[in-house]
Amino acid sequence: MPTVTIDGCEVKVKRDATILDAARKAGIWIPTLCYHPAVPSEATCRLCMVELDRGEWKQLVTACNYPVRRDIVVYVSSERAKKARRGVMELLLARAPESQELKALAERMGVKGTPYPNVTDSQRNCILCGLCVQVCEQIIGKAAISFAGRGAERTVAAPFRQPSEDCIGCGACAAICPVGTIKVRLHKEQQEVEISPFKSRVKLLVCQECGTPIVSSEVSEQVLRKSQIDWQEFRELLRLCPKCRRSQTSARLRAASVYK
Amino acid sequence: MTELGIKRFSSLVELEGMREKLLNSRSASAKSIHVCTGPGCVAKGSFKLYEIFCAAVEGAGSDVQVQAKCVGCHGFCERGPIVVIEPGGIFYQRVEEPDVAEIFRETVLGGRVVERLLYEDPNTGKKVEKANEIPFYKVQERIALSGNGLLDPTEISDYIAEGGYTALAKVLSPMTPEEVISEVELSGLRGRGGGGFPTGRKWRSCRQAEGSPKYVICNGDEGDPGAFMDRCIMEGNPHSVIEGMLIGAYAIGSEHGYIYVRNEYPLSVERLKNAVAQAKELGLVGETILGSSFSFDIRINRGGGAFVCGESTALMASLEGRPGEPRAKYVHTVESGFRGKPTNLNNVETWANIPHIINRGGKWFAGIGTEKSKGTKVFSLVGNVVNTGLVEVPMGITMRRIIDEIGGGIRDGKRFKAVQTGGPSGGCIPAEHLDARVDFEELTKLGSMMGSGGMIVMDEETCMVRVAKYFTDFLQKESCGKCTPCREGLAQMLYILDRITDGEGQVGDIERLEELGGLLEGTALCALGKTAANPVISTIRYFRDEYDAHILDGRCPAKECRGLFRYEIDPEACNGCGICLKNCPADAITGEKKVPHVINQEKCTLCGTCWEKCPFTAVLKV
Repeated sequence: MPTVTIDGCEVKVKRDATILDAARKAGIWIPTLCYHPAVPSEATCRLCMVELDRGEWKQLVTACNYPVRRDIVVYVSSERAKKARRGVMELLLARAPESQELKALAERMGVKGTPYPNVTDSQRNCILCGLCVQVCEQIIGKAAISFAGRGAERTVAAPFRQPSEDCIGCGACAAICPVGTIKVRLHKEQQEVEISPFKSRVKLLVCQECGTPIVSSEVSEQVLRKSQIDWQEFRELLRLCPKCRRSQTSARLRAASVYK
Repeated sequence: MTELGIKRFSSLVELEGMREKLLNSRSASAKSIHVCTGPGCVAKGSFKLYEIFCAAVEGAGSDVQVQAKCVGCHGFCERGPIVVIEPGGIFYQRVEEPDVAEIFRETVLGGRVVERLLYEDPNTGKKVEKANEIPFYKVQERIALSGNGLLDPTEISDYIAEGGYTALAKVLSPMTPEEVISEVELSGLRGRGGGGFPTGRKWRSCRQAEGSPKYVICNGDEGDPGAFMDRCIMEGNPHSVIEGMLIGAYAIGSEHGYIYVRNEYPLSVERLKNAVAQAKELGLVGETILGSSFSFDIRINRGGGAFVCGESTALMASLEGRPGEPRAKYVHTVESGFRGKPTNLNNVETWANIPHIINRGGKWFAGIGTEKSKGTKVFSLVGNVVNTGLVEVPMGITMRRIIDEIGGGIRDGKRFKAVQTGGPSGGCIPAEHLDARVDFEELTKLGSMMGSGGMIVMDEETCMVRVAKYFTDFLQKESCGKCTPCREGLAQMLYILDRITDGEGQVGDIERLEELGGLLEGTALCALGKTAANPVISTIRYFRDEYDAHILDGRCPAKECRGLFRYEIDPEACNGCGICLKNCPADAITGEKKVPHVINQEKCTLCGTCWEKCPFTAVLKV
């Protein structure tokens, strides 16, 4: 097992573990945005820069995807590494000025705002880390959203920037978004769930008793296909929202007069 | 090929036999008309010339032994279209359609030289008959381009007759893969695509890498503005690339090859496809090559026009059918590249050098160049230089010799200001470093790079801030947008540069640019982003005073940035002809006929019409 020395602290990791794995094992914090254990690291945000000692020279590398294959020495809190991370964060703050999550992370890193003018792009507040795209394609298996455009024009979008027919309204993209840009909106009157900003809408299964939304109908169908439960049985299970189910169960129990 | 009596070669002996047969069939007195079909000459109508020559050949009858052939780029694009008559190598330049009949009558049939179509040495005023006597060619040393201007790229028999595929035969005769790699290592050849990684070492790593199949790729996605080195090799001598790849594949242990060419090079695609098909027909590509146990197939893939696809990992992603975006190279592509398998990628020029190294030995190649940069390098010499074109020079030659001796100095008697090398993410080198030797290390030390070989010469009237802005704009548009520093950083840099050239620069802008440049170099994902700040950083390094003039004095010293200079009429030179007055769209010019005119600066919109129209150059930029 190779040893990673991070800021003087030694930690052993499995071969091909990343510097980030080693740092987390050692309890050393490295800020990350586009890293998520559910999907492979693409290292797009470049926030987790650390300095790798190569003997004759030192090189900045991304901690989230640098594989450890031999004993290495890494500096997380060297001036150069800190400066690099600060520089990246400043650019990101200009990109997503309204994200509370990003502001909080910047503050934790000691970055006090950005010297750059805000990007007045159509997709403001998206840092284009690509986690949503990855999770939709690789975990949910849908690819309802994808990158569109190139360079400064790059955005995350559904095909032709129209509501996607492939979106099942699961909200995995919103859950994984590190800057809180993707939101799940419930439209109770139409009994629909909307994934914002992609404008995709999917019908909801609602509680037959009180009308509270339970889950997107497409998600329940996907679950059904995967779990091979009978629809009737499934609908029976999911006929009511948790609250109504609880009250009905308790009413049933009371009627059975166990505690009479 | 069957019309030539060639069948599929099943042994080395058969290839040699065919070569002898081809050479014997050539008559010493037979004339050959070589019409250049390089990009520059084609643009000036050389295909039409070729057709007319062909018609003349046909009309001459069968008792005249003459053939017309289209050949690859001669390099001297400034003087195109170029026609060379062999034997004798009589070099005609700027040939036009009406000249064809005269050339055919006088030179081909009569054996006389048409003086007026010869190149005139501007220094001596003398007419020069042969190419190798022209200063443009004298200093050059041609290896990768040696077949250009000589071979018909559409005929494999031409390549074979001139010694083509002998290197492959030598390798299969047999050398062990180990011996081939050692020979390439001995040559000291380094990647010609820009990175300069030792080719032999790359091959060795790929050979040793675990996994199969292994892939060999030729990177023909040449995208630098003003660069056309690889294009001219692919179009002028496609078999040299194929032979290089065959040798590489044999050494590495690969059976599958890809050539990735940008779709904007349709002639390259056509000629490579044709060449591969011909080589397949002869058993030089495909199964059991030349009767050996070695098999190798080549596919041509077209790129969709993204500059970033010249980056190896982006190219492989594109080849796999995914968006052309780079990935981290912490695990090298020789270990896990195309489809996650060991992949050896080299640039067109690198591959074209391989047959020569095998034929003449690594030691011979290592004898050319400098300590760490061996061999020659092809550059596309463009910009404000007298002789633009494609040049191949030994590594270590000084920039001054390339620009002055080969390039013939600066156009219109102006002064040299800077030369930009290494493509869009290269740097600008000023006059004080003109005696620097051109090699990988030296150029990097000067804040530029070798890159794939673009060389743009700029004269004194070039604003260096605008140059930096031009390249930053190019790179910002070509950035794939995957990583933060490249996408956001370049946009912010461009924003600042725009501000400076608009005369709205602020104190601290230079420092901000330098900081962003450092950030890009350290944190960007791929080589495009890491080097993207070079144009800005190198111009700040050598031309900081120009940035200062823009920011502090609101003045553009080169008088290129609109709004940062004025137009004035020189009363001495103005004879009051009234042309400027008539053309001024803002009615800003006043004056009586035959009396010097005056520009009203308050009304002037700085459109520059008067400056363009004045026949007496009396309108000055001040």
